[in-house]
Amino acid sequence: MILDAQNIEMSYGQLKVLHGVSLQVEEGQTFAIIGPNGAGKTTLFKVLTGERMASAGTVSFRGQDVSKLPAFKRARLGFGRTFQVARIFTELDLLTNVVIPIEARIRASGKSPGHWWSWEPSREVRAEAEDILERLGFPRQRWEDEAQYLSHGDRKRLEFCVALATRPGILMLDEPTAGMSPSDRREMTRFLARFKAETGITIVMTEHDMDLIFELADRLMVLNYGEVIAVGEPAAVRDDPMVREVYLGKGGQHA
Amino acid sequence: MMSLYLYAIYNGLVLGLAIFLVSSGLTLAFGIMKIFNFAHGAFFMVGAYTAYALTGQEASSLFVFLGAALVAALLIGFVGVIADFAVFRRLAGVPAEYTLMAAFGILLLSNGVSKIAFGQAVHTVYPPEALSAFLDVGIPVSVYGLFIIGAGIVVFLALEVGLNRLWFGKLVLAVARDPWMANVAGLRVQRLKLFSVVLAFALAGLAGGLLVANQALSLDLGHSYLLYAFCVVIVGGLGSIRGAFIASILFGLAESLNAVVLPSLPGIATYSLLIILVLIRPQGLYPELSQ
Amino acid sequence: MKLAARLSLAVLLVAFLLAPFLVHPGLVFIAGFAMIQIVFALSWNLLFSYAGLVSFGHAAFFGIGAYVSAVALRYGWHINFLLIPPISAVLGAAAAFLVAIVVLRRANGIQFSVLTLALSQLVVVLIGYSEYLGHDEGISAIPRPVINLGIATLDLNNPLASYYFVIVIGLIAIALIWLVVHGPIGRTMQAVRIDPERAAFVGIDVWRLRVVAFTLSGGFAALAGSLLAPWAQIVHPDYVNWLASAQPLFATLLGGAGFFWGPVVGVLGLAWLNYAMRTFVGLSEIMIGASLLVVVLLAPQGILGALRDAVRRRRGKVAGEHR
Repeated sequence: MILDAQNIEMSYGQLKVLHGVSLQVEEGQTFAIIGPNGAGKTTLFKVLTGERMASAGTVSFRGQDVSKLPAFKRARLGFGRTFQVARIFTELDLLTNVVIPIEARIRASGKSPGHWWSWEPSREVRAEAEDILERLGFPRQRWEDEAQYLSHGDRKRLEFCVALATRPGILMLDEPTAGMSPSDRREMTRFLARFKAETGITIVMTEHDMDLIFELADRLMVLNYGEVIAVGEPAAVRDDPMVREVYLGKGGQHA
Repeated sequence: MMSLYLYAIYNGLVLGLAIFLVSSGLTLAFGIMKIFNFAHGAFFMVGAYTAYALTGQEASSLFVFLGAALVAALLIGFVGVIADFAVFRRLAGVPAEYTLMAAFGILLLSNGVSKIAFGQAVHTVYPPEALSAFLDVGIPVSVYGLFIIGAGIVVFLALEVGLNRLWFGKLVLAVARDPWMANVAGLRVQRLKLFSVVLAFALAGLAGGLLVANQALSLDLGHSYLLYAFCVVIVGGLGSIRGAFIASILFGLAESLNAVVLPSLPGIATYSLLIILVLIRPQGLYPELSQ
Repeated sequence: MKLAARLSLAVLLVAFLLAPFLVHPGLVFIAGFAMIQIVFALSWNLLFSYAGLVSFGHAAFFGIGAYVSAVALRYGWHINFLLIPPISAVLGAAAAFLVAIVVLRRANGIQFSVLTLALSQLVVVLIGYSEYLGHDEGISAIPRPVINLGIATLDLNNPLASYYFVIVIGLIAIALIWLVVHGPIGRTMQAVRIDPERAAFVGIDVWRLRVVAFTLSGGFAALAGSLLAPWAQIVHPDYVNWLASAQPLFATLLGGAGFFWGPVVGVLGLAWLNYAMRTFVGLSEIMIGASLLVVVLLAPQGILGALRDAVRRRRGKVAGEHR
């Protein structure tokens, strides 16, 4: 079991957002978390990645208790993260965006990413960054482009490069297709499926796109008002009457 | 010995309330408009010079003295409007450093203009007849000092009541807390902001007019009070009048007792107090309007 | 565009190097002073544009360097003056390190800035107490040293020698800052400035980086300060107060904070303004105040930013290409 969360409780002041949520993710699995808006998906995500500390409960990664670790330490242990609205280093070019996490990873492992006086990234770092950009469909002529001029879909792809550059053990994807056009969504779905098959990486994601989930997810968890109301294989969860009630019975929240 | 401490405490209160008079406008400016108004000290100084220009070295009556202070307040308030329209309004979404730089630019501008208009001489100004007496209650208590304490308390109460109880004040606070929401709720955000700017600057001018007889009048007048005012605004909580009031008294007392307890180390109390307080409670005493 | 920039830099360098032969001694003095201010402003911008921290009290570190150097010269310490700038830099860096680990744990954003202001004013006040440091008048009549280089001696009483001493050390400092900023540390700093949370999520220890940035920045500021003592031959608390701390901020924003050479342009601009208006009481403040307002309102990217935009607009019109 690569990720194990036990009885996560989270309150913002008086407002309790998560009531004893537990989840287990196996290595190589794709685990999806869904639920209506306000169900606590983002909060749970923040607790898992270290953006926020839970009020109670534990999070373990590869058997190690990471509950008290800040985000950067979890990132160094192997958490890769993307955001609902892609966060990239806007004023820097594509190549530098990928170089930075690579150098951070090397530095975290105790080695030096390059001499402090060298004003270009080292050959190895540069090669790795170029490789990642190419694999994700960014051709050489775009590498010097400034990241802030990228389209929304390209930003998400670049953010994926940034996450990959840390060589994560687990990918935490927060609504990977949010804001995308239908064709971009299909593209992303295809890409994630291929990537999953090639690398066998563990993925935890929150999503509203049911097609993506049924295509990719091995396990599905449904949250509502901060509680787990169903968890299991996607087909089984879909047919669960409580889940149907949450999504269709109460005014038909769009999933 | 006891009387020395009593005197220091009295002096501290006078200084504290004087600092409050100056900081009240700065607090308002920061809380409402998020402007770190470096120029505040300059406007305080110009207010003082304006009042001096109207009353001469000694105001002929208490009425004249107060009237001059009021005129200074109105004048500086008007200047504040110009500054707001010309400068601050345009810097709404811009990072704080630029607003700071703009405020500093205004400070330098007013310093330069003041140098030319008022000259670099130092003037001594005396309080009006009605306030120039000394009471002997074991320690020499100046009536003018009592006046400053009284003025400070009056301004504090006026602002507290005005902002928290009166409907108009509540509107101003609403705009400060959430301009977008206030706009949605139909409030005339721009007008309210303008009113706040006028009030903040007018307070600076008023402070200048009221405090002009407290010390030697020179171009440096703004600087020392400005530094105190910044300390107060940070310690009190950005934008909190109550916090500014308490912080002002704290700093006034600290400075005054410093002179008695550690006369060879002047000024150390203020900065030490600031550092300690900010480290213990970075958000300020009353962080109501901080982000 | 890059060619024009490189050419301008080269011209500037040559102007600095040939100044004693081109202009009268008054301007040479200003040139040396400008070089010191340039290093100081670059050290400030290291913190601002590269780590995203606004320091209002940087003159405190500058002052450490200035006073260490002044004391060493005035009170005749038996130490080769060539060692004084590096020693000042180390002391400045150490002070900055201490401040950083205390302040950065607790304060961010505006509280950080105000704390730096308070700390530097505290330093001013503390200097004022000290008789050894000359109270409020400072230390004056600082003698220029004779430096023993082993194979020769460098007599800084020779005006040419002292000028080139300042220029050479200044250039070394600038080169070092350039290297730091363009290397892996600089890239990490930029990531932290642009999006600290994102940086954390790729495994960057944001707090540690800010401490490193502050330490380096304080060290370079102190290095600049150490050159002031032999150059101006007087140091006083006015070089350490909040107004002195604001100078690198203005120079940087005036020249353009987003550019490495922005502070250089800004310092030279301010120096020119101060010099041109020196005979008119109050006019220099009006001009500088007005310039600051103009930059903030019309050209927030500073002089270099305005130039870059003008070039881009011209290019857009001529070649018809869109960015």
